[in-house]
Amino acid sequence: MMSKKTSQNIAFWVFRILGLVVVAILFWILGFIIYHGAGVINWKFLTTAPTDGMTGGGIFPAIVGTFCLIVGSMVVAFPLGVMSAIYTTEYAGNGKLVRFIRIMTNNLGSIPSIIFGLFGMALFVNALGFGDSIIAGSFTLGLLVLPLVIRTTEEALKAIPDSFRTGSLALGATKLQTIRRVILPMAFPNITTGLILSIGRVSGETAPILFTVAAYFLPKLPTSIYDQVMALPYHLYVIATSGTDLEATRPIAYGTALVLIIIVLLMNLLASFLRRHFGKKVKTN
Amino acid sequence: MIEAKNVNFYYGDFHALKDINMTMETNTVTAFIGPSGCGKSTFLRLFNRMNDLIPGTRLEGQCLIDGEDIYAKSLRVDDLRKRVGMVFQKPNPFPKSIFENVAYGLRVNGVKDRAFIAQRVEESLRGAALWDEVKDKLKKSAFELSGGQQQRLCIARALAVSPSILLMDEPASALDPISTSKVEELIHSLKKDYTIVIVTHNMQQAARVSDKTGFFMLGELVEYNDTKKMFLNPDKVQTQNYITGRFG
Ligand SMILES: Nc1ncnc2c1ncn2[C@@H]1O[C@H](COP(=O)(O)OP(=O)(O)OP(=O)(O)O)[C@@H](O)[C@H]1O
Ligand SMILES: [Mg+2]
Repeated sequence: MMSKKTSQNIAFWVFRILGLVVVAILFWILGFIIYHGAGVINWKFLTTAPTDGMTGGGIFPAIVGTFCLIVGSMVVAFPLGVMSAIYTTEYAGNGKLVRFIRIMTNNLGSIPSIIFGLFGMALFVNALGFGDSIIAGSFTLGLLVLPLVIRTTEEALKAIPDSFRTGSLALGATKLQTIRRVILPMAFPNITTGLILSIGRVSGETAPILFTVAAYFLPKLPTSIYDQVMALPYHLYVIATSGTDLEATRPIAYGTALVLIIIVLLMNLLASFLRRHFGKKVKTN
Repeated sequence: MIEAKNVNFYYGDFHALKDINMTMETNTVTAFIGPSGCGKSTFLRLFNRMNDLIPGTRLEGQCLIDGEDIYAKSLRVDDLRKRVGMVFQKPNPFPKSIFENVAYGLRVNGVKDRAFIAQRVEESLRGAALWDEVKDKLKKSAFELSGGQQQRLCIARALAVSPSILLMDEPASALDPISTSKVEELIHSLKKDYTIVIVTHNMQQAARVSDKTGFFMLGELVEYNDTKKMFLNPDKVQTQNYITGRFG
């Protein structure tokens, strides 16, 4: 029989090694992409369109397209998500309807993103007649991140002690004034964190834009919200799987992957920085 | 004048206030004392209708301010709360500047006139005996003030909307002795302009600041009398026991 101490030691080492393996895999992926992709990234790569059947040139239209989709989807998801979170936390109490809404938003959050793509195609592209366009893609992506926006906003609102609400109401402020003048400004940093997390999510998704906005090859930049655009994740998929000369496009694929990863990582870092920075500030009061 | 007529109050099935009748005269200080959980805060909150915020509560009887039923359908709660200010146990300034904290009640009232707001802020801070300490840092965050200063800021904030009544729920219980005596002096000086109701666990404090004292137990108003009489020679034996128990 092993002593208790030894078995505990073994368990400890097993967990530690498993943990290190996870981290190692993560760094391996990152290192792999940096190793293969860093070489192609330069100013020209970031600012020109693909050329030569996508075996040369840069990824500028895809960067612009992803940027448009980020802005568009946030315009859709942010007001809608923040307002419904305000409704559920500040107005609705804890009745059956609210619990139902909450369960449904959570369910919405676990639907595979390809389903959103199909739904977006059926509703926005076809039924509403937007066609393959920035607006159709933005609505689809907006719906996709709506649960995330709602949940982070709800948490941001719940984190604010009731004493601020009663303090404001006791001065004769209405509920709406209290929310607008006291609660929202206090919750703002955490709501922003949710916004940034959603941006990270939106910029990396391929399935929802596949049938709603993404163009295979479109060097021309969009001029209206009814135009199609290229987007980084879809572009990556295209040049990695269906280019004219896969060997020649491989470095470009890694470069694109690296740009995408950097955008997502930056967003997540920014979010956790904001959370830590403002989290501290609220606590010290 | 504040009146409660045959007031019964329920949290769901729990009968928190039992058949209370009480009249508080204008420009007096009334203290509520009694053991924890006897319903002092519940009773106090009836008069600015803060209990409305708690779901599942029910009120029977009448609460009148200067003869007007404050639970009448035609009355707007936010208007009532401008007339009846409240100071809470724990100082709860907003995460805004000192100036904006005091100006808040005016701004939500739709007051836009800058000069008037500045004047009201100064008057209120003077009224709360805080002006001299903060006049050079009105733009600083209210969180930079000490606990006692924050509580006086909350009092100034309540004064700014010119209420006629001030409800104070253990306003000094989170404060050190010096801040406490400042708040007590303040209550004294406010008495000539305001009707004040204060809940306190501190017998000496009740004796020092109030004209009349109400003693509550288990949701009932056991005795309501002049403060002097209450502490020297109460009518009820429960009052005697409670007061001496606390002193001894
Ligand atoms: N929100 C609430 N929901 C249900 N019951 C409550 C609520 N608030 C208070 N009560 C109950 O009502 C009774 C009176 O409470 P209240 O807060 O008025 O007492 P109190 O005299 O102010 O006590 P303390 O001196 O501790 O502040 C208590 O029994 C309490 O448990
Ligand atoms: Mg109380």
